[in-house]
Amino acid sequence: MSNFDLALWSFPVLLFLVFLRMPIALAMIVCGVGGTWLVIGTPMMTLNQLKSLTYGTFSNYSFSIIPLFLLMGQFATVSGMSADLFRAAASFLGHRRGGVAMSAVGACAGFGAICGSSLATAATMGRVALPELRQYGYPGSLSTGALAAGGTLGILIPPSVILVIYAILVEQNIEKLFVAAIIPGLLAALGYIVAISIWVRVYPNSAALRDRVPWGERLQALAKVWPVLVIFAAVVGGIYFGVFTPTEAAAVGAAGTGLVAAFGGKLGWSELRESILTTAMSTAMIFLIILGAGIYNNFLGLTQLPQTAAAWVGDQGFSPWFVLWIVLVMYLLFGCVMDSLSMVLLTVPIVFPIMSSLDFGMSPGDFGLWFGILVLIVVEVGLITPPVGMNLFIINSMARDIPIRDTYAGALPFVLTDILRVIVLTLFPAITLSLVWALN
Amino acid sequence: MYRTLYRGADFIAQVLAYLGGAILIAIIAMTVVSIIGRLFVPLQIGIGPIRGIYDFTSMAMAAAVFAFLPICQLRQGHAVVDLFERRMPDSVGRILDLLFNAMMLGAATIGTLRLFAGLQDKMATGETTQIAEMPVWWGYAAGMVGATGFILVAGFCTLRAALMMSERFREAQPHV
Repeated sequence: MSNFDLALWSFPVLLFLVFLRMPIALAMIVCGVGGTWLVIGTPMMTLNQLKSLTYGTFSNYSFSIIPLFLLMGQFATVSGMSADLFRAAASFLGHRRGGVAMSAVGACAGFGAICGSSLATAATMGRVALPELRQYGYPGSLSTGALAAGGTLGILIPPSVILVIYAILVEQNIEKLFVAAIIPGLLAALGYIVAISIWVRVYPNSAALRDRVPWGERLQALAKVWPVLVIFAAVVGGIYFGVFTPTEAAAVGAAGTGLVAAFGGKLGWSELRESILTTAMSTAMIFLIILGAGIYNNFLGLTQLPQTAAAWVGDQGFSPWFVLWIVLVMYLLFGCVMDSLSMVLLTVPIVFPIMSSLDFGMSPGDFGLWFGILVLIVVEVGLITPPVGMNLFIINSMARDIPIRDTYAGALPFVLTDILRVIVLTLFPAITLSLVWALN
Repeated sequence: MYRTLYRGADFIAQVLAYLGGAILIAIIAMTVVSIIGRLFVPLQIGIGPIRGIYDFTSMAMAAAVFAFLPICQLRQGHAVVDLFERRMPDSVGRILDLLFNAMMLGAATIGTLRLFAGLQDKMATGETTQIAEMPVWWGYAAGMVGATGFILVAGFCTLRAALMMSERFREAQPHV
């Protein structure tokens, strides 16, 4: 068996182990170490690398942004800002048809601006908005579907943990990626709101209306969410205009959300301990996957698979757009069963060299940003599709009386808007890139 | 006996997680101080950013990440794919669980032993970080704390997975 064959066969082995419910990080380590052993005939090289690889990965300055963003998201979760955001959104949208669900989506978008995780956003907004959705008679499917979809805004709207990882993998500017994600993120929120509005027109009896809120109260509600705006501006603006490094910005954001929570009386000892434990678990999970993906990708690099695959795709004479569509569809399908972070870490080192060798008529820098945003969206769709849509499970676990089938069905219109958005953003790269160009 | 071991593993995992959390908060506080200090640079009154703060951040973050590993292991926080879980007989699931826990224990042990070998290398060469000129082995030594805790907790998890094979144990113990 040639080295190249070994690399190819390692994929089904890896997937098999993962489907047996082996932790993904462990499966990557096993395949990476085993594969390297087979290629060079001895485990010594890997053992030598391990002297510094683990410490080197954990102490990588660029990666240190991740635990800080996770802690920031936890502080945001306990701060009560989610409830303020929901009240503010509801005062503007609540009296419309489908307004409570729209408010939940709007509040998710606001929360996504200070939280880089979809699951945290879905869980937090679910606690705040689900009781009100039920109170106004929204059907279970629409309630859970809208909240699960709204949760994905946590990652689609910067800051976003997956974008950080992508930026490090393909050596793109984190600051530009965050800016590039803003318009697609807002389009996502808009798409979800349109989906709700269509839903309540197709099923006119599906929701009661909230009372119209006078403008004075609306402005008061809006004034309460100023910390969200300040923190978002400080973090994303600070990174973009070079005031801070991304890690510094994450530290500032964590300090800011922590202070907001503390001054609001929401960050007692038990909340602080819970925030730390949750951050600790997510951090360990993510860094083990980063380590495993590093070991596995070292093995693939040794077999020259990325270069060989790029050359093969180039030789076939496919149109670049055809290859791009195939890649996006593959991500969409795999996203339904795989964890999005693992998928990005596993595939981007192979897929990105292939894609960037194709000519889409744009500069390499622009391509890196645009492709990153497209990948981000398609892998996140997996969070709201069966069979393994984590956001669906989280929201559904908060509303035990709603059958999971209803939740799946409720998410469908939102998945359709996601797919539509991917198509539009693929056909018109300028939508994603215009804000980056404008700020340059 | 099992109860005592569980409490021990839980104690190690929690203490290390809180230690890591304290490190995170220290990094945040120092970063904020450093940024404020940097604002004073144009005034030339001798106040500036903390020298070598990036070196400190890297080293401290590594120590924190190592310290976070045990709690993730103990509370089964690793990313897994639950696609075929329900289609597998429970007995098969339990065997696999034991196998994977044992493999994680093996990986933790080898990884930590290699980290220790790296520590000895860095002590021998006396390598320091670029700006703050802190010895790099400090970071390795700090990482060893969490890594050792990871071995202990992974050992407990392997034992737990083994005991879970016995029906009597499953009935006698609440699922911890």
